[in-house]
Amino acid sequence: MKSDQIQFQCGLLRVASTLLFAFAQVACQPPANQSRLTVASLGKISSLDPAQASTLGTTQLLSALGDTLYRLDQQGELTPRLASSAPEISDNGLTISIPLRRDVLFHDGSHFDAEAMAFSIRRFLDIGTLSYVVGDRIAAVEVASRYRLVLKLNRPSTSLEGLLTSVNLTPISPKAYLNYKDRFLHDRFVGTGPYKLTSFSEHQQRLEPFQNYWDTQPSNDGLDLITLSNSTALFGALTSGEVDVLLSASIDEDQRHALHNMAQRGQLHEGRGPAMGIGYVTLLSNVEPLNDRKLRQALALSLDRLEISKRVSYGLRQPLQSLVPPSLPGGNRPSWPSHNPEAARSLLRESGYCNGRVLSIPLTFRTNVPADKLFALTWQAQVQRDLPDCMNITLDGVESTTVYRQLGEGAFKAVMLDWRGSYPDPEAYLTPLLSCLKANGEICLEGEAAISGSFWSTPGLQNTLRSSDVLRGKARLDPLHRLEDLTAEGSAYIPVWLETPRAWSQTSISQPRFDGSGRVRLNQLRRMD
Amino acid sequence: MGRARELVRYSATRLGLAPLMLWLIATLVFLLLRVAPGDPVDAVLGSRAPADAKAEMRARLGLDQSLFDQYWHYLQGLFQGDLGQALINQEPVRSIINRTLPASLELSVIALIAAAIIGLSIGFSGIARPEGKIDLSGRLYGLGTYALPPFWVAMLLQLLFAVSLGWLPVGGRFPPSLLPPDGSGFYLFDCLRSGDWTGLRGTIRHLILPAGTLALLLSGTFTTALRLNLRRTLRNDYVEAARSRGLTERQVILRHGLPNALLPVLTIAGITVASLIGGALLIEVTFSWPGIALRLQEAINQRDYPVVQGIVVVIAALVVLVSVAVDLLVAALDPRIRY
Repeated sequence: MKSDQIQFQCGLLRVASTLLFAFAQVACQPPANQSRLTVASLGKISSLDPAQASTLGTTQLLSALGDTLYRLDQQGELTPRLASSAPEISDNGLTISIPLRRDVLFHDGSHFDAEAMAFSIRRFLDIGTLSYVVGDRIAAVEVASRYRLVLKLNRPSTSLEGLLTSVNLTPISPKAYLNYKDRFLHDRFVGTGPYKLTSFSEHQQRLEPFQNYWDTQPSNDGLDLITLSNSTALFGALTSGEVDVLLSASIDEDQRHALHNMAQRGQLHEGRGPAMGIGYVTLLSNVEPLNDRKLRQALALSLDRLEISKRVSYGLRQPLQSLVPPSLPGGNRPSWPSHNPEAARSLLRESGYCNGRVLSIPLTFRTNVPADKLFALTWQAQVQRDLPDCMNITLDGVESTTVYRQLGEGAFKAVMLDWRGSYPDPEAYLTPLLSCLKANGEICLEGEAAISGSFWSTPGLQNTLRSSDVLRGKARLDPLHRLEDLTAEGSAYIPVWLETPRAWSQTSISQPRFDGSGRVRLNQLRRMD
Repeated sequence: MGRARELVRYSATRLGLAPLMLWLIATLVFLLLRVAPGDPVDAVLGSRAPADAKAEMRARLGLDQSLFDQYWHYLQGLFQGDLGQALINQEPVRSIINRTLPASLELSVIALIAAAIIGLSIGFSGIARPEGKIDLSGRLYGLGTYALPPFWVAMLLQLLFAVSLGWLPVGGRFPPSLLPPDGSGFYLFDCLRSGDWTGLRGTIRHLILPAGTLALLLSGTFTTALRLNLRRTLRNDYVEAARSRGLTERQVILRHGLPNALLPVLTIAGITVASLIGGALLIEVTFSWPGIALRLQEAINQRDYPVVQGIVVVIAALVVLVSVAVDLLVAALDPRIRY
């Protein structure tokens, strides 16, 4: 019996040794292809069709595979890409003429011209899931000559120029999309960009430099884009050296902070883009108790943005006191008041609270957005500290799909949300929150303000909104500031923070650089000798 | 009635009940999804899309029909093997399942094999000296691994082997710098068949952590099951009779004890593999494994009704089929079973 046992244990030892040897064999890192780069981000890519692109991951990928007519540079200036010069706008502002480059080829070898551009814009207007961002502004898309495109507008629109930088209007080859004029093509993309797509799956995409690219060739020999399903995996993949570059706006705050610190210690390179994402609270203004403007203003005054920024994001999210990001026209002026609990108390008293009567506000946060929960907890604690006898905030976590579904039904008294304009223009931030088709006094009955869950409007707001999209340059700043002031006065929205896109690379890779729309210039990434 | 006829009748009864169970599951999923808050049209177009665009899409997807009509069309499709199209990107649900199911099956089967080898070895090793040190360690191992929270173990192993030591990849199924092999979707098999040794090595490297974690968590069940069954079996009269006939302890265990003790373990293995196909979500999420459970979670978040319905029905069918197959196998192997 004893010899049986010894024999058995020897057998186990042999098996274990063999397994250990096999493990050692496969565990060694295979030599990486030095000339290619592996870039990781969060979430899968469901569709490569520019007419359906909405997620950051998709727009980032499409910006490497295609070009837009114009691009915002890091200084926020409109730079021609597939257009050969700035758009020519008629005196009445109703016609925009765009001259196009003549030396551009699609990845399938066909020529880029005004017909191709018109095909792409018309297709977006017909089937694009975000085509509503154009609204009724474009009346017709015309081909004036082979290399000149003309857009006829229903009304003058300054923001349309920003729209021309949108990835949704990336031109696609009419030849390749012949059978997809009126439906999406999800797993292929034929554009004009510095890379062409050679392999696509939801979690992995392979990009090779396009040899006939009209502009400078990419600084690397190709990209392997992978998506991982959680923030911890992304963090681990970068810190272990498994991936070269990490792009993510959705990485958890602690890990973002840790990566930021590593970059400061010189262990990684960190790139920062223009802050285009805003976090804000929507208050339901058409029913009690928040139909009382003073109470909304009191809530806005109770918010200590600086402390929230430190507690939630270690200061990486900038406090925000306007709805328009500061990098865009009209956004660099704080319209919402700073933290002032005494002023809040005074307003609450005027509305009959504080004298033994406590205002209770249920704050909803999205359970699948970790920063939202941290924000909600911090604000709740701030109110408890500053105004315990006047107000308390109760928390309610709801999954984001449900939040968006029920927002327009007026289901949430106060809810934390975020927004990133589809294109870099104040219009892309103000219209989706403030536009109202039908209002009754300060209550919006129909329109974006109702869909956004605030149901708030105010006399004169819609006219100011329209005029802000007609004027240009410095003249435009006045209505933009007026809009922000009116909205701050109404306090149906409370801007909280501004999110800066960041990307990190290994020290052997160049520092990631962003364009003016907050996307990493993947073609500029290179392995340094 | 002969045993063979009884077995056929039993098999027919079990298989005959399977469609009824599938119908019940399909109906429940259909109803639960419609009760859940969240609109699939909003998920596709966004909540800010114009009302007419939403209405058009709702009509195109048949969501404007009555619940009964939707249910009827859903059942008709199921009956014809048509699981519909994903709302988000119109990809046929069948092709989503074809792509993700092999990933989950590969992970589950490898994990199960590893769990069986580890668990049974540990369970078996203590039997020579019951209540001895090895037996006690086996008991502790069985209880301990059963009690460990999967996500915690997964994250610890990921942190140790992938992040700190850098021996294994953090996540994914295949090296990003290589093109996945064409074929069945079972990468181990596809790489072997095409002689792609670099791909095979990459596949194994990506499999080790998720499969190892699952195996570790499952192996305790095998250890405990074998240990208990073997001990009970070895106390039976026929085992005593074998000993009294002069057989060595090794012969007694291997010929009389083990085969009988393994029958319940077979049932456990069958149920485990079936439940793993859809139940390894935490492992798939932690290791970014592009399997069917991860896809199901994404579809639930997006309220992609056809994908959720299709995946749940396929997983349920697999669970039912594997359970029936295991029952039949046990019935065929164990002459004591009456039908």
